[in-house]
Parts: sequence; C-alpha cells; structure tokens
Amino acid sequence: MDLLDIGEEDVMVPLLVRAARDADASVRAEAARCLEGMESESAIGGLLDLLVDDEPEVRKAAATSLAEIKEASHGSQLLDRLSTADGFAKASILRALRELRRTEAYGPALQALNDGDPGVRAAAVGVLGYLKNAQALPHIARLAKTDPDPEVRRITVGALAFAQHAPEVGAALVDALKDSSWQVRDEAATTLGKLGDRAAIHPLVEAMDDPYWQVRLKATRSLGKLKAAEAMEVLTQTLSHAVSNLRKEVAIALGEIGNLAAVPYLEEALNDPDPDVRKMCRLALSQLGALKS
Amino acid sequence: MPLTMNRVSVPVTVDAEKCIAGKGCTVCVESCPLDLLAIDKEKGTAYMRFDECWYCLPCEKDCPTGAIHVDIPYLLR
Amino acid sequence: MNGLDMEVDVLVIGGGTAGPMAAVKAKEKNPALRVMLLEKANVKRSGAISMGMDGLNNAVIPGHATPEQYVKEITVANDGIVNQKTVLAYAQQSFSMIEELDRWGVKFEKDETGDYAVKKVHHMGTYVLPMPEGHHMKKVLYRQLKKWRVDITNRYMATRLLLDRNGAIAGAMVLDSRTGEFSVIRSKAVILCTGAAGRLGLPASGYLFGTYENPTNAGDGYSMAYHAGAELSGIECFQINPLIKDYNGPSCAYVTGPFGGYTANAKGERFIECDYWSGQMMLEFYRELEGGNGPVFLKMNHLAEETISTIEHILHTNERPSRGRFHEGRGSNYRDAMVEMHISEIGLCSGHSASGVWVNERAETTVPGLYAAGDLACVPHNYMLGAFVYGRLAGESAAEYCAVRALAAVESDQVERERARVLGPLAHRDGLPPSQVEYKLRRMVNDYLQPPKVTRKMEIGLQRFAEVAEDLTRMSATNPHELMRAMEVHAILDCAEMAARASLYRTESRWGLYHYRADHPEKNDKDWFVHVQVKKGDGGDMSCFKRPIDPYVVPLDEEEKAAYDHLRITKQAAVA
Ligand SMILES: Cc1cc2nc3c(=O)[nH]c(=O)nc-3n(C[C@H](O)[C@H](O)[C@H](O)COP(=O)(O)OP(=O)(O)OC[C@H]3O[C@@H](n4cnc5c(N)ncnc54)[C@H](O)[C@@H]3O)c2cc1C
Ligand code: SF4
Ligand code: SF4
Repeated sequence: MDLLDIGEEDVMVPLLVRAARDADASVRAEAARCLEGMESESAIGGLLDLLVDDEPEVRKAAATSLAEIKEASHGSQLLDRLSTADGFAKASILRALRELRRTEAYGPALQALNDGDPGVRAAAVGVLGYLKNAQALPHIARLAKTDPDPEVRRITVGALAFAQHAPEVGAALVDALKDSSWQVRDEAATTLGKLGDRAAIHPLVEAMDDPYWQVRLKATRSLGKLKAAEAMEVLTQTLSHAVSNLRKEVAIALGEIGNLAAVPYLEEALNDPDPDVRKMCRLALSQLGALKS
Repeated sequence: MPLTMNRVSVPVTVDAEKCIAGKGCTVCVESCPLDLLAIDKEKGTAYMRFDECWYCLPCEKDCPTGAIHVDIPYLLR
Repeated sequence: MNGLDMEVDVLVIGGGTAGPMAAVKAKEKNPALRVMLLEKANVKRSGAISMGMDGLNNAVIPGHATPEQYVKEITVANDGIVNQKTVLAYAQQSFSMIEELDRWGVKFEKDETGDYAVKKVHHMGTYVLPMPEGHHMKKVLYRQLKKWRVDITNRYMATRLLLDRNGAIAGAMVLDSRTGEFSVIRSKAVILCTGAAGRLGLPASGYLFGTYENPTNAGDGYSMAYHAGAELSGIECFQINPLIKDYNGPSCAYVTGPFGGYTANAKGERFIECDYWSGQMMLEFYRELEGGNGPVFLKMNHLAEETISTIEHILHTNERPSRGRFHEGRGSNYRDAMVEMHISEIGLCSGHSASGVWVNERAETTVPGLYAAGDLACVPHNYMLGAFVYGRLAGESAAEYCAVRALAAVESDQVERERARVLGPLAHRDGLPPSQVEYKLRRMVNDYLQPPKVTRKMEIGLQRFAEVAEDLTRMSATNPHELMRAMEVHAILDCAEMAARASLYRTESRWGLYHYRADHPEKNDKDWFVHVQVKKGDGGDMSCFKRPIDPYVVPLDEEEKAAYDHLRITKQAAVA
C-alpha cells in the first residue's frame, strides 16, 4: 500500500509498469498489487502481461488487480487479449470483464463455455449471468446439466436466475434439484424461488425430502415466495423438524402463503423451545390476521 | 510525586533478522492506528514502544518483510 | 504547521469512515474549496474499518426493503425515540451510496447474475449485505482522497473547536501527537467524524485498549461538540454489545446468523428472538445470565463443515482478523464447542445505539458551521453505511455553507486557554501518569454507570468524576504520545459525566438494558416520550432538557406497533 504514496497516478503508472518487469518476483507481485485501481491503458497492459508470469503469486496478484477495473471502456483492451489467452489468464480476463457488462463479451464468453478448463467455464458463466442476455439461456441450461465440475454447475444454476418465462430453464433447474452435489441442489432451490414459476412448486415440495436441511431450507423459502398452497402439508409437518432454522423458515413461509389452514399449526408452534421460531409464528399469524393478543 | 516503572509483556514481536528498519523502512510505525511502534535507531529494528494494542493487525499485514508478529495481549489471552 | 497560519475552508476531523467521504464530497461539490482531513492516526489505516468490514448491517435495497419499512424498523428498535427525518434521509440515500461505493471498488456479495445478495437478520425487512472481501475498504477510500486532492494531515489530534463571537465555528485547535506542538487551524466549517466514545467503560480484562471500538476513538468529538455548545442527544442510550468474552470483539451474529449460527444459553438453546443488536436483546442476554442459564454462547457447532469454514474465512480475514488467533490460543474451534460470550463495557455510539451529537437530515448540528457524521452523530443504528451517507450529507452541506461565509476572526484568549490546558501535562515532570488516571476513571464508570443503573450509584459516580476532574490538572506527560493520551482522558471524563447526567435525568427505563434503571423499571411514555438533550449551560455547567419528538413522517399504525410489541419475549417465555 505504501507505493501508492509516490505521487499522482500519471507519475506512478510508468514506474509501476517498469517494476512489473523486474527480475525479482516479489517486486513484480507488489507492482501488480499497486497497479490495482489505476485505470490507464498501460497499467492494464502491464497487468495483462503479468497474467502469464512464471510465478503463481505474481499471476494471482495481477488477476486480483484486474478484477478491480470499474470503467467499462477498458473492456476493449481486455477483450483484445481474451482471444489469445488460455487457462488461468483467460479465466482471469473473463472474471475482470464480468462487472463491466460489455455486450461484446457475449460471444467470447459463450464460446468459452466449451473450454476444457473448469475455471474458464465458471468465469464465462459469470460473464453471461451478469449480461442477462436471454439468448444465452439454453447454453447455460445445458451446462447446468452436463458440466462435470460441481462448482461450475452451481454457478450455472445461480446464473439462471435472470431467466423469465423460459421453460427449458425451469426443466434444467428441476433436474438440478436432484444433482449429486448438495451445493448445486441448494442453489437450484434458491433460483427456482427467484424465478417465480409456479411449475416449480411440485419439485420443490419433493426437495423437502432432501437429506440436507440446508436444501430443505432454501426450498421452504422458495415455496413461501411462490405462495404455494400445495406445500401446506409438507410445510406444516416440517414445523416440528429438529433443526430450528428450518422451523423458523417454515413459519415465515406459512405466513407468506396466506392459507388459514396453517393457523392451528402456527398456534401450536407458539410454544416452540426456540424464541426465534415463536417470533416468526406470531409474525405469520398476524399476517394471516389470526393473532390473538 | 514518587513514580516507579512496572514491567509488562507486550504483544508485538519484531524479528530482527527480517526487519529492514535499518534501511529506512517505517511502514509499521505509520500504519499503527494507535501509534505504538517506533524504530530503535541503534539496533535498526522496529519495536513496540507503548503497551496500548488493539490487536488489529495493520502493522503485521503491511510489513513488507513479514518481520512483525502480533499476539493477543496477555491479559486477554 | 505553526501558530495561527493554517487556513482552510472545510476542516474534517477524523479520517475513519465518515470523514474521508465527507472530505471527498465537499471537494466534489466545489473543487475550489480547501478541504483538510485531519486524522489522529493515519488515514490509510484508521478507524473502525481499519481492517475492513464484514458487511452492511442496514442496506436498504429496492426489492428487499423500502425506506419506509426501514424507518419503521428503526423507530421500533429505538423504542420510538427517533427524529424520523434523519433516519429517512439515510434510508432514501442508502442504495445510491451502495452503488457509488460499488463503482469505487468496494466488493459486496452478489449472486451469479450480479444482483446484491441481501440477507435477513432484522425483524421484518432484509437488510444485511455481506462483504466477503471487505478488507479493501480503506484502500478504496484512500484512492478517492488522492483523486480529489484532499489535504490529508495525519497524526494530529483535534482538542477543541474554535468559536467566533457569535458562537459559530471559526476552526479548531490541534495537537501534533509526534512533536507535541500545539496549533490553530482556521476554517469556515468543521465536520466532526471522530467516531464513538469507545474508551468509556473498562473492559472486564482490565486492558485499557481491549475495547470493542477502535480505541483511538476516545470520545474526543463528543467532548469537543459539547464544549462548543452543541446539543447532544440520547446519551443515556448506552452502547452495550454481546461480545466474545475477553477478546471483546463481535462474534458476529450478522455473519453467522444467515449461515445458521445463533446466540444460545449454556444448554445450547436459543433464548432471544432475534440476534439483531438492540437494548432489548441485551436485556434478555442479561436476564439469562442472572437467571442461572448462563454463560451465553455463540453456537455454530451444529453447522456443516463447509458452512463453518466459510464463516471462518470471513471472520478471520476482515474487521477483527485476530479473532482466529484468539481462538487458536485457547485451543477452541467453532466445530467442537460453543464460543463463550459476555456483555461488554459501556460506550457511546450512535452507529450501534443512539448516543450522539444532535444533527438534522442535512448533518447540521445546533452550532452554525459545525456538522457531524458517523458514530458520533445522533442517527440511531446508523452503522457503517450510515456513516458514509451522513459523511456525504455533511460534506455537501458544509460546502454550501462555505459559499456564503468568510473565515471568522480568532479570539486569542480562547487559544491561550486551550494552549495552557493542552500543554499543561508537559510542564510538570512528576505528576500522575495519564494511564493511571484513565484506569481509575474507567473503573469508576464500570462501578457506577454499567446498567442496571441505580440512582444513588450514579450520584456517587458523579462525585467520583468530580474528584478525577481535579486530578486532570495533576497529570504529567513525558512525551507527546502520552500527552495525547492525557487529552483523551479529559474527553473520557466529559463523556462519563454526560452519561451519568443524562441517565439520571430520564427517570424511567427504556431501550432494554441500555437504559435499564433498577429504581425506575417501567417505561413511561407519558412523561418520557421525548429526546433528552445534554448541553453546556450558560454558566458552564452541564444541563439536560427535553426536546419533543417531531411528528413521525412514517407513521406506525397501532397494529404494527402491537405486532412489534409481541416480538419481545415475555418473561415467562424466556424461561420456557
Ligand atoms: C469491531 C467492529 C465491527 C463492526 N462491524 C460492522 C459491520 O459489520 N457492519 C456495519 O455496517 N458496521 C459495523 N461496525 C460499525 C461501523 O464500523 C461504524 O459505524 C463506522 O465505521 C463509524 O464510522 P466513523 O467515521 O464514525 O468512525 P471511525 O471510522 O472509527 O473513524 C473515526 C476516526 O476519527 C479519528 N479521531 C478520533 N478522535 C480524533 C481527534 N481528536 N482528532 C483527529 N482524529 C480523531 C480516529 O482515529 C478514527 O480514524 C463495526 C464497528 C466495529 C468497531
Ligand atoms: S496490532 Fe494494531 S494496535 Fe497493535 S501494534 Fe499492530 S497496528 Fe498497532
Ligand atoms: S514494517 Fe516491518 S520491516 Fe518495516 S520497520 Fe516495521 S517491522 Fe521493520
């Protein structure tokens, strides 16, 4: 952080770019760190060069600094370099492009979905998720199903949250509720709630049998958001589950769904050993207009 | 008024081998929010001058050579 | 810097969170202004966020919460005693501030489509926005200060404000904490951003600097505002936090809560309705301890391994990164055992509760030319984002004020009096060491002011404080650093006296444990639905008075109030 004090940016950047070519790797890494936030062509060029440095520490520092770029116009420079980059450098450039939301990044990101490197695929999905271009949906949805890497699948499932009225996405997400990785199932349950498609209700009710309570919790939250009266039975049963975080979420969902059939269950749960659950039950009852004071 | 000096153990240790204060480094002295560190000019190393530490770690984090180590102050440990 | 020769337009005192924002915004408003940011430490690593922050506690983001909902939430959380206009001003500008910080490079948690990933912790709305990489905060602010060419002056402590003949701001008097030199800075406006009064109570460890707040924040701003004749408000609404025992840092419910961690009693049961920090929550905490169910713990050992490692990563890299080191030293681990917690010593802080310098929705205090923002400005539960929003408001308001003001003449007797006070401890070599005076004073604060508050005890406390006041003139300092500490003791004493007087004045209980008076245990809305203000009287004595609460701009209907009332745990329920 101290190099930051040398002077104003126009003076510092050339010095730092020179330091980025130093023989000593720790100097190069420090230069990469200091170049963070200096948004000029030469600064960004210097950082892009360091993405293929021999030392992993230097590469990492350069990637971190690149991800800090805020000015969308610098995206062009990143895009230029993207076509020749691969592996770590490619993933890093894609990650830096994500926040900039440049439409030109769409094509390269789409192509990168087929990259052999999971890091690149994950970063590419990130770009597409932020761009929110509906044309990408079938491609992302395919990856959600087929990618061998669970973390890529998880990100993919999260990125589908911008899909409005896209049945193929719904189907992919429903499949993802049965993924072998619980993190993917967790993310899928969340995304289905964000999309607000009532076709998801039945699969979400089924997800209430998931072996992971975390997944059930997200399913509960989404069922509440979807105002799923169909879920009344499974939710009221879950109101006595051993995990109190889950009971709490169920109470909230029952309030949101707004079905008076929940009243006796919520009243019973007013004696829950966990005060947080009791509070949510009172809140739900008052939402249902059934709170006796 | 009669005064006395009490001994206290301080939480910050500086590795004299690594510290480059002799070459002009004062990074830790500048980053400590409580201004507790100083340079021993004779030894050419930084040291903790006042026992008023918030165990917040900027000194350790900003030191370019990894010479500083902060422990939780003894009374809290 | 020497004598009367420094002149600026806007002087910002305190370069932690609100201060850098205020300075940048004053410059943005009018780049021709001379803006100085004066900081006791080093702006790069100062204040509550010196190592970053875990997240926003009170983000009002469209789609997750509305400003009106937030105002209701804070109105109830602060037992109705709020100037709603100030809270609304925050809430309405919260989102644009997040977007601006995002553009500046602050990293907030987003989902895979780039939308903010807001989490639920409060009663009703959803306001918590994590910052898993929040350690960059100071770097981001520093970059903006450089960009706008703010004049940064590190390692100076402001000791008193300067007033003109009419009681308006004329500048400030400052001490160079490295050389012991005293000087005067003339300015048209001053923005106070000196943070909480964090060195008021003594931590149970007995270590003077083992505080929750960054201990550079000794309450200097509260004291300076008071001596300048400003009104302070809600001082009796203390800051008391549930903290990791001995470590005295946040545990932190806002980070662990969304992952399923919670505050539990010795049996591992949850006993509070909501981990959102409030006086009511602290009262339940206190009762649990008194009721034999304690100690109280942070429970995470029921969580999945992945979840715990995520939590660890956040808690041990940001905000108070030495947390991990502390647990390691004790051989404790979130996976195996619950983490013991305790009730902190008292402090004054509007960021967390409500004590502060009275400001309106433009960050103006009651003294012309004086603005306040952040933990020391009375906007309840304002936290970090509130410090930024009020920093912006203060910077903009001060810039406007400068346009129609000239520098005021400096009255030399004010300066000479202050010079004598500040440099006094250097004059005698063998007086009382400031650290000893501070220790005694803060121990007295614990003995006489820590709730439950008892009338007779607070009266005795005032007597003791008066005795310590005599000792102040007997302090000696052997170096400039110690001189700075001596001046801080003066401020701590002012805060202690304000805390006692405001608490004695409000003869009811309110805000749960924050103002729980054992001999006035009931809330009394008929007489005390008012702000309690503290101000220096004309004779120089401390005075307290009532300020009516402005009509609510966001009214709460009876049912809402009732629904909230029911959220509180009744005594029976707590035992169940
Ligand atoms: C441990 C901890 C955890 C927190 N966690 C969160 C969280 O997760 N989310 C959240 O929203 N909020 C959190 N907060 C609250 C938030 O950090 C504060 O509300 C906010 O940072 C206050 O900003 P400030 O500018 O008022 O004070 P600070 O940032 O503390 O700045 C005050 C500055 O004034 C300087 N100063 C003091 N006296 C003088 C003087 N006499 N002369 C010159 N300079 C002086 C100090 O050196 C300091 O730099 C936390 C606070 C703490 C302490
Ligand atoms: S841990 Fe913090 S207070 Fe202690 S010496 Fe280092 S920077 Fe200073
Ligand atoms: S920062 Fe490190 S190297 Fe520099 S003076 Fe301090 S301890 Fe020595």
